[in-house]
Amino acid sequence: MKEFEPKIIGFCCNWCTYAGADLAGVSRLQMPPDFRMIRVMCSGTIDPLFVMEAFQKGADGIFIGGCHIGDCHYQTGNHRTKKRVAILKKILSYLGIDPRRVRLEWVSAAEGQKFAEVVTDFVAEIKRLGPNPLKRKFEA
Amino acid sequence: MIEKLKKLAKEYLVSGKVEVIFGLREKDNHLAPHIFTKVEELDSLVVSPQYPLFYTCRPSKKNIIRLIEEKYPDIKIGVIVKGCEERALIELAKRNQIEMKNIEILGVACSREEAVECKCPRPYPNHPLLGEKVEGVFEDKNIEGLLNKGWSERLAFWQSQLSKCIKCYGCRNACPLCFCQDCAMEQELWSKIGEIPPEIPMFHFIRFYHLADRCIECGECEKACPMDIPLLTISKQVRKDVKELFNYESGLDVKQESPLLTTLDEMPMKEGANE
Repeated sequence: MKEFEPKIIGFCCNWCTYAGADLAGVSRLQMPPDFRMIRVMCSGTIDPLFVMEAFQKGADGIFIGGCHIGDCHYQTGNHRTKKRVAILKKILSYLGIDPRRVRLEWVSAAEGQKFAEVVTDFVAEIKRLGPNPLKRKFEA
Repeated sequence: MIEKLKKLAKEYLVSGKVEVIFGLREKDNHLAPHIFTKVEELDSLVVSPQYPLFYTCRPSKKNIIRLIEEKYPDIKIGVIVKGCEERALIELAKRNQIEMKNIEILGVACSREEAVECKCPRPYPNHPLLGEKVEGVFEDKNIEGLLNKGWSERLAFWQSQLSKCIKCYGCRNACPLCFCQDCAMEQELWSKIGEIPPEIPMFHFIRFYHLADRCIECGECEKACPMDIPLLTISKQVRKDVKELFNYESGLDVKQESPLLTTLDEMPMKEGANE
């Protein structure tokens, strides 16, 4: 049997996490290749509907990366992200989708090492959780 | 109690405290919202937890109170409300959908039996003029069963429930707080048009999320649903979570701003809420 290769969508903020990912790449840090990144201008643009849509289309895990609280390029964009994601996780859990499939992390532009660690850890966790249950229903 | 209310409403109207009364009227055995302008008319006034007083009028997507205000900007409107309707008014005023300055609230508390029937957690307005504040209903049999189960069982439950959906948009149309000009549930982007049942759980998720900080637990969505989908189960639970996370309850105070619109400093989250 083929090993489960998850599809992970990463929404990364232009100013911190995307630059952090860039640094991780430039520093040639090893990361699993299951991560597909979408650059957004701020983590505050991420509507929970994006996350749900990604699950609906078959993503196994969603990573949301933003600046640390207080470092947001737009002052308070990430404050909203934090609150939204908290509610999103609650609704997902009631609907029967493991909230661990969504991860919110603050990664600054200087934290290439942290980015690599977070991605590696998240991919390992999603592999443990298995494929997205919504996708399984489609294929059956 | 209804006689007392009629007497009170008449007093309000005669004394000139309000110029019109907005409430439910019974005519030919049918109940409908009505603007009472004359004292004699008030004999047909009724209060019923089964019939909503406010709704968002389509296609203008404006609340009925807003339409009255727009047409008659200077009159004082007395509104006969139950607990849920007062919460709706407050939440609408908070979100600039109506103006409270010309509104006089006549609050009526519901009985315990009515609260049980509606699964209402707060069957009384902030300051009831009539009736006693009785205890509400907080438990929900669906969620208690689901919280003890695993992810796959919860998903299976909601898949079976939501697949009954015939996409009538009844839940949205009945909701007093669904007033967006461009409803995400109608957009091809999120859920395909012309498909029944809609994408599960995306279609219903839009409402659950958008109402997370607005839902006042009136239960109109669930009452309107022709397929008996237990929509209130999740909304109830999410409202509870919003209270736990942000110490915020919708519909209680016009001045209290929604946590989703403020920063963390103004409305701090509980530690570890992210985990």
